Amino acid sequence: MQLLKKIIFPSLACVSLLFGTACKNGKEKYTVYTNLPQGAYTLTEKNFDTVEIGGYTPNEQSFPEEDTSSYTTRGYTLYAMFTDAEIIVADDFTKEGAEEKYKQFKSDLSALLTEVSKCVSSTVKDSDIYNFNNAKAGATLEIGKTAYEVLSTAKSVYTFTEGFYNPALYYNIHAYGFSGESSHPESAEDLPDDALIAKYTDLAKRFGEVTLEEKEGRYFVTKPAYTVEADGEVISIKLDLGGVGKGYAVDKIDALYEKYGYNYGYTSFGASSMVLKSNFKTGPYTLVLTNPRSISQDAFIHIPARGEKLSTSGDNEQFYRIDGTRYCHIIDPETGKPVQKGIMSVTVIGGSAAEDDALTTAIMCMGKERAVKFIEEKLTDKKVVFTCE
Amino acid sequence: MSLKKIEQVKQDRGFKLFDLIIYGLVLLAVAALFIAVFATRDKSPVTGIKIYIRAEAVFEYSFGSAVPSGETLDKRVETKEDENGVTVTVRADEKHLNVIYIDKAKKTAKMVEANCNGGQCKYFPAIDDNNKYIYCDPHGVKVEPLSRDWDNPNIII
Repeated sequence: MQLLKKIIFPSLACVSLLFGTACKNGKEKYTVYTNLPQGAYTLTEKNFDTVEIGGYTPNEQSFPEEDTSSYTTRGYTLYAMFTDAEIIVADDFTKEGAEEKYKQFKSDLSALLTEVSKCVSSTVKDSDIYNFNNAKAGATLEIGKTAYEVLSTAKSVYTFTEGFYNPALYYNIHAYGFSGESSHPESAEDLPDDALIAKYTDLAKRFGEVTLEEKEGRYFVTKPAYTVEADGEVISIKLDLGGVGKGYAVDKIDALYEKYGYNYGYTSFGASSMVLKSNFKTGPYTLVLTNPRSISQDAFIHIPARGEKLSTSGDNEQFYRIDGTRYCHIIDPETGKPVQKGIMSVTVIGGSAAEDDALTTAIMCMGKERAVKFIEEKLTDKKVVFTCE
Repeated sequence: MSLKKIEQVKQDRGFKLFDLIIYGLVLLAVAALFIAVFATRDKSPVTGIKIYIRAEAVFEYSFGSAVPSGETLDKRVETKEDENGVTVTVRADEKHLNVIYIDKAKKTAKMVEANCNGGQCKYFPAIDDNNKYIYCDPHGVKVEPLSRDWDNPNIII
């Protein structure tokens, strides 16, 4: 016994330590920052160090006990807002009227997504945002309630993040080839000129001057009068609401789940924005966050979650490399260029998915020190996980 | 530590009851985790593969049945079959290409070629159970098992 305790166990511990170190050294080291309390997550990758962020106050939720023994799950995929949306609902489909209810839910959901896509898209002709983008500087336009609500959220997060979320970086997104319409630069010579980018960025900084007004049930937006001359053309502010639109759609889908009394299931928009109800078999779902630098998508953290909306952004979603430098689709409002501040991915859980969607983009652009301070001071009601190189 | 204390420690039994309880609890926790991770996985075999372009089903193949070809196929899809498997070429449009290889013996499917930005979809693990799927976001091409398990509690981000 003494032999076991004094020699074999310590030897095993040493071997494990050496093995662990060898495994660690074989991979790049990353850091995960989170305000999740210990026990609310499981780190599954050895090559991630954890830095805990303070400030988060857990919000206790309760879930009613239901007999789900006769429940089954239905899932299907819709293409909307340039990605696949997976819609999953669990219910007792043998109940009278359940099939009809599900059919109506699907129909309402399709109509909702068509409406949101149409209103917030900058490429759909005659959408509110398309019309705004093509209006003259200083013009006032009447818009629909959906565009008004999305713009209101965008403005509020713009102010809340002191401009780190900025949906007016439209020209910058196009210049770097992330609009979906243009091809991306292939070499350093193809990259946009710094002086041009500075002009586009200067224009985007006027987003705070976009004004919204509600008058007797009608909604209006006014474009800033400011213009710049770029590439021999006088241009005014244009918007890309990609950073908030999917989250807004998820908020509305959550309301639809509530309306139909569906407490089990989830909807995921290309894994970037989602609403999680409950899993009828396990209660919580397990969010499996993957290492943004792992080509085999290795999971680095598991987080149980239910009754939450959330969003994720990362520099691995859309990117290209030129001379070893990564150019991703998230534009840094400080430089006007693809963000390169060391944050690889951000996930924000809790509250409105539209806000979370915009917040993930903002945190990506803050860099780690400012991000930690921002989360500690301002995001005390949301769970945040971000990863750094 | 005093000499008296050291002597006392030396004379102690190899394992105290408390030590054994802790070791037992650790073993139990490891066993529970093992069961949770492996035993609860859906291991039902994949019965076939379905391919979508922007949520529109364009190809469906059940293992053991004839591979769809010729006029029955969507115009954006081409198939090439040999004794081991089926190579499915999907052109979401003129510029966007994805190639999926379906292994008939192993009953798996894998994205083997894609000309999307970064080509991330090529690194999705092969579909070998009803929990897995492959998604090429830039092209809107999704490959999934015919009987996808929507009950899977793991949501991968």
